[in-house]
Amino acid sequence: MAKPRILVLGVGNILFRDEGVGVRVAEALEQNYEFPENVTVMDGGTLGLNLLGTISETDHLIVVDCVRNGGESGDLYRISGDAIPERVRAKNSLHQVDLLESLTLCQALGPPPKTVILGVEPLDMETMALDLTDLVNSKIPDLMEMVFKELKRLNVGEITKRSKPHVPGCTSQTH
Amino acid sequence: MGQIITIDPVTRIEGHLRIEVEVENGIVKDAWSSGQMFRGIEIILQGRDPRDAPLFVQRSCGVCTYVHYLSSVEAIEDAVGIKIPDNARIIRNLLHGAQFQHDHIVHFYHLHALDWVDVVNALKADPKATATLADNVSNAPWGGASYFKRVQERVKSFVDSGQLGPFANAYWGHPAYKLSPEADLMAVSHYIEALRVQARAAKLHAIFGAKNPHLQSLVAGGVTCAADLKPDRVAEFKYLWKETQEFVKNVYIPDVLAVASFYKDWGAIGGTSNYLAYGDFPQTGEGSSSDLMPGGTIFRRKLSDVKKMDEDKITEHVARSWYEGKKDLHPYKGVTEPNYTDYDREDRYSWIKAPRYDGKSMEVGPLSRVLVAYGKGDPGVKKLVDDTLAHLSVPADVLFSTLGRTAARALETVFIGNAMETWLNELVGNLTKGDDSTYTPWEMPDKGMGRGLNDVPRGALGHWIEIDKGKIKNYQYVVPSTWNLGPRDAKGQIGPVEEALIGTPIADPKRPVEVLRTVHSFDPCIACAIHVIDPNSNEVYKVKAL
Repeated sequence: MAKPRILVLGVGNILFRDEGVGVRVAEALEQNYEFPENVTVMDGGTLGLNLLGTISETDHLIVVDCVRNGGESGDLYRISGDAIPERVRAKNSLHQVDLLESLTLCQALGPPPKTVILGVEPLDMETMALDLTDLVNSKIPDLMEMVFKELKRLNVGEITKRSKPHVPGCTSQTH
Repeated sequence: MGQIITIDPVTRIEGHLRIEVEVENGIVKDAWSSGQMFRGIEIILQGRDPRDAPLFVQRSCGVCTYVHYLSSVEAIEDAVGIKIPDNARIIRNLLHGAQFQHDHIVHFYHLHALDWVDVVNALKADPKATATLADNVSNAPWGGASYFKRVQERVKSFVDSGQLGPFANAYWGHPAYKLSPEADLMAVSHYIEALRVQARAAKLHAIFGAKNPHLQSLVAGGVTCAADLKPDRVAEFKYLWKETQEFVKNVYIPDVLAVASFYKDWGAIGGTSNYLAYGDFPQTGEGSSSDLMPGGTIFRRKLSDVKKMDEDKITEHVARSWYEGKKDLHPYKGVTEPNYTDYDREDRYSWIKAPRYDGKSMEVGPLSRVLVAYGKGDPGVKKLVDDTLAHLSVPADVLFSTLGRTAARALETVFIGNAMETWLNELVGNLTKGDDSTYTPWEMPDKGMGRGLNDVPRGALGHWIEIDKGKIKNYQYVVPSTWNLGPRDAKGQIGPVEEALIGTPIADPKRPVEVLRTVHSFDPCIACAIHVIDPNSNEVYKVKAL
């Protein structure tokens, strides 16, 4: 029995402060940890429909994103199952519309991946700047912990911390 | 004044387009196309190293992700006087061809088909009859009554759950939809299969381009994917290309023909007068004279009189756009000084400039390319077009229409896709001979002027660069949607999409699907939100269109 394929997808727009938190979490995971072969960590940026191929080729999808849920800035969320479309629709940023559409289209192709969204309520997603607010930045370890918890739930084996940060793109990739 | 219908789109990727039409007695009498977003990349580039330009301009868009990159690199090569190695020419053609395959499949199925195909009507289809129909018209690898029944059930669960997703916000049940339920079901199933195909076709770019979107393997002087010029990578590309091309031949083309046979009246709607192609896909080191899709111009629909394209005749007008001044300038002299006034149909009403060729508004894109090649008597294109006209038993006049535009897009996909095999074989031939050269070294000059002219999925694309003291002094680009969707000019001449819309019959002003058919046939990457204003009651209906 082949192991289920798991995709950890950080999405968002790094140009608008907290809007980029998902991408920053994906980067931190990639740089500091080594994952088993059936787990892929990916920076999905603002790609939306271009992610369809990737999303349709995984069994489990863990999305990390900033979520406007009417709570206090910095609140952490875990959204799964039927709650996803409703919650995602309530957000008003473009990349989420696209992500929802990709998930819906995925259903048209066949059974969509089992999806969980992990998120944090943003403080500022209006200002054009590359850095997160201190508040949301301080939640990155919590979000990473939430990702590990999901991976544990999915019986993922050993995740090892790297002895030194790995910068993607500096090793030879096998295709 | 008749009734004004405003279509004010919201786009996800590349700018907002607003279309207004004036309707009188059920016919479009006048039209205005307004670009609602300012593109300031030219200003950002000033003073930078020319080698930065390709990476910046590529970010203009996330759909045609490769094309600005290509034109920008070629503009620098032209300014410096670099001749690239043969392998670089071939790789660029292959990446460009892959862009066409991907773009045109996505356009037909995911951006345009639902203007012609009624998803909800597909729920009434008999799966068995659908299987028979599909066997008759297409050579699709999937089919059979149980397959179509499964697709129907999946669509039904979308509709029943109220989560229509991609099929939401449309005009299902509109009288302008003419397909039988079975043809609708077949098309919807192919819509879904095309999603799968396009996701795989996108990988073609990753093989020789490092990633998709926004490739990274082009530089002024050649390409950087030297490490991928190996048998296994070439084979991988060939395998994906073949899979995509089989879909184009066995599904896309038959579907276009099947849908067109229900909509022959659209062979008389949505046409323009003048056509411009820069030409592309050089087949030798001789450059544009060896283009697979030749350049040229056609005026007043005279196919027998294709003229040579003279790039000095290109100017951009700003008299009706939100920029300083009223002068029309050649792109080398072009300036980008934004000055937003207000939306005024009688004065300035768009962020898009109005490009003109010899003072005339020109349609660019698949139809222009196919007409120029056809008019020049290219045997391959001529056979494809003539066979299609014969299959539908329609005269050549129907080419100048919304239907012709959509058919031309399909025909050039198969034509360019076929040529890709030749290029792959050339590449293998070169590598076998031991020619693995991919780059010509060069030095940045103190001064230089150059342009890159390409023909990309949506039409003629030009980038113009002026280098001074080794830095970018001026940069201008004129993109296909500027040609097609630009506003009026200083003389008040209307742009192509404005011209194409005039005369369109509108059955129901609250649901102007007919306007969308023509606007979408130009393939602007837009998802529109439509507001229809009734001048008597000032009531606004908001409808989002796909």
